[in-house]
Parts: sequence; C-alpha cells; structure tokens
Amino acid sequence: MLQDSGFTDVLIGEAVDTFGGANGENKARAFEVYGYAFMARRPA
Amino acid sequence: MAQKLPVDPDALREQVRGKYREVATDPGASFHFHTGRGLAARLGYEAAAVGALPDRAVESFAGVGNPLSLRRLEPGEKVVDVGSGAGFDSFIAAGQVGPGGQVLGVDMTAEMLAKSTQTAERLGLGHVQFREGLAEALPVEEAWADVVISNGVINLCADKQAVFAEIFRVLRPGGRLQFADIANGRPVPADALRDIDLWTG
Repeated sequence: MLQDSGFTDVLIGEAVDTFGGANGENKARAFEVYGYAFMARRPA
Repeated sequence: MAQKLPVDPDALREQVRGKYREVATDPGASFHFHTGRGLAARLGYEAAAVGALPDRAVESFAGVGNPLSLRRLEPGEKVVDVGSGAGFDSFIAAGQVGPGGQVLGVDMTAEMLAKSTQTAERLGLGHVQFREGLAEALPVEEAWADVVISNGVINLCADKQAVFAEIFRVLRPGGRLQFADIANGRPVPADALRDIDLWTG
C-alpha cells in the first residue's frame, strides 16, 4: 500500500509485543497482532 | 474506481473519538491497550526523554510502537504528527528537532487537542503546535514537512490509501514517513472487518 501511494525505500522494524499483559492480549494473540515501526521516503 | 471500504468512515471516526476522549480525560481507566509511562518503556522509548516530560504529556499515550526507532529526527526538521493525541510523540519529536525545528500535531478529538495544546504552553514549547484535522485531510500545506510521524492511528482509519496519499502530499520530495502501527500475522475474517466495535476494542 505504501508503494502504491508512491513511497519508496520501505523499511520495517522488529515486531513489538504491544498488547502483552493488556486486556486485549487474547484478541491480539488470536490474530498474531504486533506493533511495528515503518519508514518510507517520498522520492526526491 | 472508488475502493469499497469495510466500514463507514464517519461511523468509525465517532467510535474512535469516543474511545480516545476517554483516554484523554480518564487515562487511568481500563482499556484493551496499555497507556502511559509503562507503555513508553515497553515500546523502547529513551527513558531520559520520557522522564523529562510531565505526567500530563505521557499519561494518555496509547501508541503501538516507536515511530522514531528506525531513525532519530535531525535538528531543524519540520515534523507533522498525524493523530497526535495528547501530544506524547510530538513532545518527543520536539526534543529531537530542537527549537530550530517545528512540530505540528493534528488530531480530530477535541479533548486530546485541548490537553496537548495546554501541555505545550506549560512546557513553553513555542515550536510545537496542534491543529484539528483528519488524517485524510491534513490542515498542512503541500510539501511542508521533512518528516511525517504517526503512532497507532492509520489502522483506525477506514481508507488507508487516502491517508497515505495525504501524507505523501504534505511531505517534501525526499521527505520521510516514520510511523508505528499494528499488523496481524493471521487473516481477520471478513465479518470481523465489518464490525466497527472490533476496530477499537
């Protein structure tokens, strides 16, 4: 989707267990939901 | 051809506003996600930067990752924070860009905007301001930003392609998008995607 919008040089960071120990942990585990950092560039 | 969205964008926005109004005004309540200083530590934010902020700048933080973990901002950069909430990431960004930079937070929830604006005033951060707006229609001129950041917001927007197009518009050529968001490793059933209650809870 980022590339469809014109972005390039897409980077994705390591998964973070955003919901571990939170009330929403069970739903997050059911769908393997994690947090990620993303970086992309608008071409010059 | 217009993309068919899984949910009505306006209905989803009202649901999101309701949830984050509560996060702004009652940050100690029980949510399905973590909040505040504990969350910032979990997500790997620099302890010194977070520790330097007052409670009101951190307590309503409800991000899902650290948008600045892949690249630290540079002094003097102009930053837009999409869905700035109570301002936590904007204040972290403000520390990195310094007084020669600018940070513009955009949020659609009045209670979040009031809180972030008052915090910026109390901290004397003249290079940080907050505006009301939507991720799909940012109140920012074209090619203004060196960097756009966002944290846990795009997943709550029905039309993600419209959000990315708008972010592309406000970034200068060569500018960067740095955001954090959730992604699922297992597919979510189609009927669940159409259930607005599941988007925010």
